[in-house]
Amino acid sequence: MISVNGVLVSAGEGGVCGERMMGGYRVWDPYRSKLAALWYLDKSTDLPADGVVLYLGAANGTTVSFVADYVEAVYAVEFAPRPMQDLLMVARKRKNIVPIFADAAQPERYAPLLEAVDLVYQDVAQPNQAEIAIRHLPFLHSEGKLILMLKTRSVDVRQSSESVFADACAELSDAGLCVMKAVWLLPYHGDHAAIVCERR
Amino acid sequence: MYWYGLSGDVSTDPADAAARLRAAKTDMSGYVPCDWCEAERLGLVKDRQEYLAAVRRAAIYLAEEGIAAVAQEKDAELLQMVRTLDEMDTVINLLSERLIEWYISVTPSFSRKYLGSGAGASRMVPMIGKKGTDLMKNIAREILSMSNARTGLMKAVSRKAVSVIPNMSVLTGGLVAARLVSRAGGLAAAARMPGSSMQVLGAEGALFSHIRAGTPAPKHGIVFQHRRVHNAPREVRGQVARVLASKLAIAARLDYFRGELDAEFAATANAKIDSLLEVGR
Repeated sequence: MISVNGVLVSAGEGGVCGERMMGGYRVWDPYRSKLAALWYLDKSTDLPADGVVLYLGAANGTTVSFVADYVEAVYAVEFAPRPMQDLLMVARKRKNIVPIFADAAQPERYAPLLEAVDLVYQDVAQPNQAEIAIRHLPFLHSEGKLILMLKTRSVDVRQSSESVFADACAELSDAGLCVMKAVWLLPYHGDHAAIVCERR
Repeated sequence: MYWYGLSGDVSTDPADAAARLRAAKTDMSGYVPCDWCEAERLGLVKDRQEYLAAVRRAAIYLAEEGIAAVAQEKDAELLQMVRTLDEMDTVINLLSERLIEWYISVTPSFSRKYLGSGAGASRMVPMIGKKGTDLMKNIAREILSMSNARTGLMKAVSRKAVSVIPNMSVLTGGLVAARLVSRAGGLAAAARMPGSSMQVLGAEGALFSHIRAGTPAPKHGIVFQHRRVHNAPREVRGQVARVLASKLAIAARLDYFRGELDAEFAATANAKIDSLLEVGR
């Protein structure tokens, strides 16, 4: 990851989402992007340079555009039509984003488009987030990583964030993953945990 | 099968790839992700760059097609129209009330008592347009012109509802039908809704306080706006709302899956509701 005076930046064409520029670099705001927040909390966070990323829950393409600045290609999956229009706009400007208009809960629908990836990054507001992540493991290289941004409030509002988090970790472990790191994204994002996993 | 096709029938054409993906039923057990080198071996692309460009073209083609299909859904515009209408109501009411308060506060001799034909906003706003200060006159004019736009929009919503959701519209009139579909979250959602949910759409507050605290259950939500419900005698009002809602649930399915008016259904449904009102009398 590139940082200038402790500020996380990326090298790429600016003006995607009104981000600040600093010495020709795009400033990556931790309050808007969970991946940036993860980097500020754990500086060992990295993206596979020259690797391929599968990005689930791409939304408006803000984080996607930063990820695309670092890696060779991003397959970005988004289901809602309105944010997808924004994502398409971002993809037109960046030649290494493959925007996929599909439901991340149904990988069989877009599996033919995908190739094996070095990182699965997931940020979806669904109750079965761990299950969705596990269903995308066939796309992950054997040395690949999974970063799950767990939205505990989307899983169950009646349970405490901690118990939702523990359940998700257990589910991932059962699926043959090894939880390497888990970081709560406070103060940048409330009730969000970043779970970094590797294949066992 | 991958996006560029099976051996024998391969191409990187976006339209072909889109057709293949629509038809694809991929079995995820034992699935092996696509290796771009295979496309190179087949002579489809020269290098990695070209592969990415081709898959990106296909994906963008599919996405644009998908978004266009969503925008084409016939209830998409109706939903936006009816929501705009409801927002306009709120805005007009807030502004008129504020303007009237303002006028009254600087007109010490004014009282709302004993005004022959009432002192509602519909009379007060035009009156302020004539008697208020210049500033008030301007604002009154804006409110009146917004009210005109609102009336036009309301008629347009009714017309649009009659063409988009004909069966629901014939039961409750276009406006109420459109509001119901809007609150349900679209025609697809309304078509999957049981009659009992349709009956209390728009009365969620009362419904959940009933479920939580055991307060009396709501008899009607948005359906109350329909004249046969709010004009019904109290004893049969809940019954009328229930029958009407269950017919509306059927009508929503007709509208979603068939899309045209079923005159026979409409006639029997309306007759059944009217017969309840007869008994009530």
